[in-house]
Amino acid sequence: MKSQSGKVMVVGGGIAGLTAAWELARQNVSVELVEKSCFLGGYSIGYTCKATDTCQQCGACSVEKMLKNVVGEPLINVHLRTEIGSLDRSDGFKISLKKNCEDMAEALVLKGFSRHNAPLYVRGKGVTEAAPEGAVDIEKMGSEGDINVDAVIVATGFTPFDAEIKGTYGYGKWENVITGLEFENIVRENAGIVRPSDGKRPEKVAFIQCVGSRDERLGNLWCSEVCCPYAMRMAGTIKHDNPDAEVSIFYIDVQNTGKEFPVFYEKIRENVRFVRTIPVDIYPTENDGLKLRHMAEDEGSPSFEEFDMVVLSVGLMPGADSKIVSETFDIPLTVDGFLDDSVDSGVFVAGTAAGPGTIAGSMAGAGKIAFDAVKYLGGAK
Amino acid sequence: MAETTDMIEVTINKDVLVIGCGAQGLESAEAVAAKGYKVVLVDDGDVPAPASADIEVMANTTVESLAGMTGDFRTCLANGSGRSDRTFGAIVVAPKYGLAPLNEAYGLALDDKVVSMTQMEALLGDAAFKKTLGQGEGKTIAFVSGFGQEGDPAATSRVLEAALTVQKLGNARAYIYANNVKVGARGLERLFTLGRNEGVVCFKPLEKPAIEQGDTLKIVINDPVVREDVALEPDYIVVEEEVVVGRANLDLAETLRIDTDLDGFIPSNNVHRFPANSNREGIFVASTLEDAPNVALRVADLLASGVKSVAANAAVVDETKCTICLTCYRCCPHGAIFWENGIAAISPVACQGCGICASECPMDAIQIGDFTDDALKADIEGAVASVSGTPSIVAFCCQNSALEAGEAAKAFDTELPQGFRMIQVPCAGKVDVEFIMKAFVEGADGVMVAACHEGNCKAERGSTFAKWRVEEIRKRLETIGLSKDRLIFTTIASNMAEEFSMKVRMFAEKL
Repeated sequence: MKSQSGKVMVVGGGIAGLTAAWELARQNVSVELVEKSCFLGGYSIGYTCKATDTCQQCGACSVEKMLKNVVGEPLINVHLRTEIGSLDRSDGFKISLKKNCEDMAEALVLKGFSRHNAPLYVRGKGVTEAAPEGAVDIEKMGSEGDINVDAVIVATGFTPFDAEIKGTYGYGKWENVITGLEFENIVRENAGIVRPSDGKRPEKVAFIQCVGSRDERLGNLWCSEVCCPYAMRMAGTIKHDNPDAEVSIFYIDVQNTGKEFPVFYEKIRENVRFVRTIPVDIYPTENDGLKLRHMAEDEGSPSFEEFDMVVLSVGLMPGADSKIVSETFDIPLTVDGFLDDSVDSGVFVAGTAAGPGTIAGSMAGAGKIAFDAVKYLGGAK
Repeated sequence: MAETTDMIEVTINKDVLVIGCGAQGLESAEAVAAKGYKVVLVDDGDVPAPASADIEVMANTTVESLAGMTGDFRTCLANGSGRSDRTFGAIVVAPKYGLAPLNEAYGLALDDKVVSMTQMEALLGDAAFKKTLGQGEGKTIAFVSGFGQEGDPAATSRVLEAALTVQKLGNARAYIYANNVKVGARGLERLFTLGRNEGVVCFKPLEKPAIEQGDTLKIVINDPVVREDVALEPDYIVVEEEVVVGRANLDLAETLRIDTDLDGFIPSNNVHRFPANSNREGIFVASTLEDAPNVALRVADLLASGVKSVAANAAVVDETKCTICLTCYRCCPHGAIFWENGIAAISPVACQGCGICASECPMDAIQIGDFTDDALKADIEGAVASVSGTPSIVAFCCQNSALEAGEAAKAFDTELPQGFRMIQVPCAGKVDVEFIMKAFVEGADGVMVAACHEGNCKAERGSTFAKWRVEEIRKRLETIGLSKDRLIFTTIASNMAEEFSMKVRMFAEKL
């Protein structure tokens, strides 16, 4: 209850980084929030609401709320399009920041997913579209220079599994094979699910679970925890918007959504078909359809089934920057390649950088890390 | 809306009551104490000595009653040596749930060969027993799980750990009969794989296994992989356990007036509550170890240095109008209303400003902060007057959801009808019948009440109240000769700008 001082750098502006930053500010700690992309919120700010008539507790709206909190908080200083250059630990943490030089020219006009993402629009090189009011020149974004802080929270997040690795599913080749992440964005932008090939509402949809997760051959010996929940919730929204739609979920083991799961699961099973097998491959058919081959559970031979659209429930892989972050901040990697969150030398790890987790889980975990960081500041001073 | 808000300083008690001394209760008590607050830790059973000297411990103690408000909770703590009245600024609930074996779901009776998961864990802690499992030909142990209930990663983790322990004992063999293997937690898939590599056999039959319990035990399943019946005669069967809420937790929730979820677990299943909030300000819930530091942050946020600055006009009761009908007390989702000097009083610390009470009050005796009846009526007049073009649509938008979506829709230049106007309300539960009718009287062609989805309302039941009112008015519109379709109720999340536009466009087309 004594007034807390000190400054913490939070690396990564996804839901874990936002939550950690906000919790620190609530404890009167000032925060330098560093985000390499042009907007805050990470992957989760692009997620869609998955409510039917009732809320399905996916937490997507919580990200919106947390983003609003953070951008309105004077103790949090946000650096967009900025990365960590080097780290000097001789006296606290002296961190050099550099502009993210990733070429964003192709982006032309980037539109943030949330109006709380300031600036809303970012102009890239060679913009042909008229720049909207409030647009910022991308070349002017980003921070350079050294910043001294007392502790660091690393919340660099995950990378979605690259579905092209599972070549037999034809992702990248067949337009109507999409990932769960793309499903999120399509619904968000179109106020409902539509097929990429023709913009029409699909009548028959399949979800394939564990794409990239629980895969011994790939060496990915983890459950991504979020894919069963999102697939089931998405299946529920498809049926809610279009009761005539047929939705199938191909799975290994159904994982829980959280509280009240038995009630949720019983209800979803009334509307959605669950097939315990992981399909082998996908071929295109006429009218942009897809033929899916699987070993149906009650037959001994392969079955073929046609769908309008197939959603690959891609898992959560270690963040693309894990290795470099591990080296810069001297954080060991886990056997799975995530950042080891048991470090306690003034560097902390929050969110999916340390392993798969839900929005709710990332928020709770980030709160815990913020608590630990404040405790560390108290002891260090 | 009002220009300025007068703030008042309220003194807050800085002591914290922690109820329940399970791992997360102890951890919460320590975390709150580490923030510099005095903690009283009570439990209806024994309490182990906490590490911190700042924690006062009361064993075999229950919370008999709760009065007062956030920052000034007056409790009566009862134990064998009598009752004591204690005041706290905040309360932390760390519920301890029980476990019950689900042997009946499998048609089994517990005996020395058919045991619960807890019993097996105890047996595996006994070196002599472990030795008997691995000796000679070795014993066979079958774990059945996921058929009596869906199960969860915590239960799966226990099965996987125990099976691996068994499998590693000499010639002992472990079999798992599972429905969905709940590996959705850190490290479990690896543990599952490790077990199978060690020789643990896992069957995943589509139906509950048929089990005979006679002189010998026999489990028969139809294996979906080899597509034939597989029988096993194990020496032991270990049955799964379900988590039970128990009477004590339900009573506690009732005493504290906090909501539970459909299964009776505390708190309600609402995204606005996680990770550690309940529906009542100042009462926090630690369901897991990770919740403990979050609880401490929320406590520190609330109690700070013992003085809280709050809006003086958060919710004001007109004493000349209040008839003590109890309506507001009953409908307040945040337990923020009490009685003082013969009228209803609303705690400015506990009040969340949703305004459900103001709308439900039959005497119109309550006014909410910046959203007084006069201010909202002025907003309605202004909104309709500013419209040029038809149709004119007035949308009452909850500031937690629809308003955000609507503002984003405008910011992102999505297509909205020209005559569309939004009116900010603190919660759809604040939208009175009177306001809706006022909008029609002022000349609106259509009125929309845009709320949070059921189960997502920050005030738990605000959107439900709004829905009821809209249904009621739609009936009345018919009787006065207006089309009922000029009024709609809709739900929308804060992040759904395009969906918001689409809903407004569809409504405009219909009009």
